[in-house]
Amino acid sequence: MRFDEWLTAAPDWLSGGPEWLQQLCYSFYQTWIMDGNWKFFADGLRITLLTTVGALILGVLIGVFIAIVRSAYDSRRAGTRPNPLFWLLNLICKLYLTVIRGTPMMVQLLISCFVIMLPRGERELLMCAIITFGINSGAYVAEIVRSGIMSISSGQMEAGRSLGLNYGQTMRYIIIPQAIKNILPALGNELIVLVKETSIVTTIGLKDLTKGAQIIVTNTYNTMMTYISLAVIYLVIVLILTKLLGIFERRLRASDRR
Amino acid sequence: MIDVRNLHKSFGDHEVLAGVNEHIEKGEKVVIIGPSGSGKSTFLRCLNLLEEPTSGDIIFEGQNITSKKTDINLIRRKMGMVFQQFNLFPHLTVRENIKLAPVKLGVMDNLAADARAMELLERVGLPDKADSYPIQLSGGQQQRIAIARALAMNPDVMLFDEPTSALDPEMVGEVLEIMKELADDGMTMVVVTHEMGFAREVGTRVLFMDGGNIVEQNEPREFFANPQNPRLKDFLSKVL
Repeated sequence: MRFDEWLTAAPDWLSGGPEWLQQLCYSFYQTWIMDGNWKFFADGLRITLLTTVGALILGVLIGVFIAIVRSAYDSRRAGTRPNPLFWLLNLICKLYLTVIRGTPMMVQLLISCFVIMLPRGERELLMCAIITFGINSGAYVAEIVRSGIMSISSGQMEAGRSLGLNYGQTMRYIIIPQAIKNILPALGNELIVLVKETSIVTTIGLKDLTKGAQIIVTNTYNTMMTYISLAVIYLVIVLILTKLLGIFERRLRASDRR
Repeated sequence: MIDVRNLHKSFGDHEVLAGVNEHIEKGEKVVIIGPSGSGKSTFLRCLNLLEEPTSGDIIFEGQNITSKKTDINLIRRKMGMVFQQFNLFPHLTVRENIKLAPVKLGVMDNLAADARAMELLERVGLPDKADSYPIQLSGGQQQRIAIARALAMNPDVMLFDEPTSALDPEMVGEVLEIMKELADDGMTMVVVTHEMGFAREVGTRVLFMDGGNIVEQNEPREFFANPQNPRLKDFLSKVL
């Protein structure tokens, strides 16, 4: 619907109002309502959230595993020669951290999509994005978790071990429960970074939120309203996440004030 | 009960234990004193392998615990340890602190561990603190809980690593009192401490360590009344 057509259908207060307001409302109409454009945002939002949540879960699993391997390796009995398998595992973990943290996310996405996985269709593209982001996020989560583990005094490990608990049991019942409190703020930060960073999946053709906005722009040529709407949507997601994390954190901290 | 043979421990180039030989009998209360840096804490921590000896053997109840084949986790159940900094688990209540090891290691079921925890809390005089968190307790109370926690596994020997050094002076007495009762019950104890009064009163044998070795040992009365080694004389003249 063109502007003049739209204006005749508009309510009286608007058609009789100032022109800038008419333009503003028209561009809102174009971006959100015309041809069901909001569906591009809605579908894109779904993909963005799926990618983020999937990547976060995968990232935390990888991260916790690597953090435990790395801190177990670093805290093994000093001076003893490590088990060669363990040594190799630690080396692989270190290599992974170096490569993933040392190359741009976008390059990793291009390589995993166009060199390694070669996905076909929307579903496979989504899987590819989740796996790539999960692997990337895992490297950062690993260092977050490791710093959380290291923040617990070595006396706690010694106390656990002196009671006859093995390394794994001491980690599980004593170190990790205490470390979580220290890890959570940084992990929340990682989640927020992840939500925003998923916008680069547009480069592999996945129809996420940002891609949705780009599609709307090609239909309407209205860049300002579309991209500002896009920014606001991301901002709202992040605000909601921040709020949720704040509540969660306060709950955990409550145990400190007993 | 514990037989230590030619125990060496080095941190890098720094030799902390220089070939310690020692034998500890069941029921003995061995008190280890010495200047800081003499290796007494390291010696104690080697006994349950919190520090890995560089060389030498430690035989505990007939098993060589420095051998790779020995499951050190099983040995440690028989050796309770009390730390200078208490090291209670801050995220757990007092009761949970005591129950954790027996329950998770499958030594007792939850109910039995609960009863055992209350019994131990009675013994250290803190039954009303069962559901408190460590942070709510004074240093002396925390250390008494730490002793109860170590006792929960029914150890054959208790190792004390300067248990009163981190305490305010007025709290030292309550902890020493618990240790004294433990000694009277016949527990085998190895105690690293600066409390000469405790060494004299409770110890059956006092060891003086200096420069990574035991340079003099004797039963307490003779040890304090008639020291031989010039380093010991010097040390005692400063601390007594």
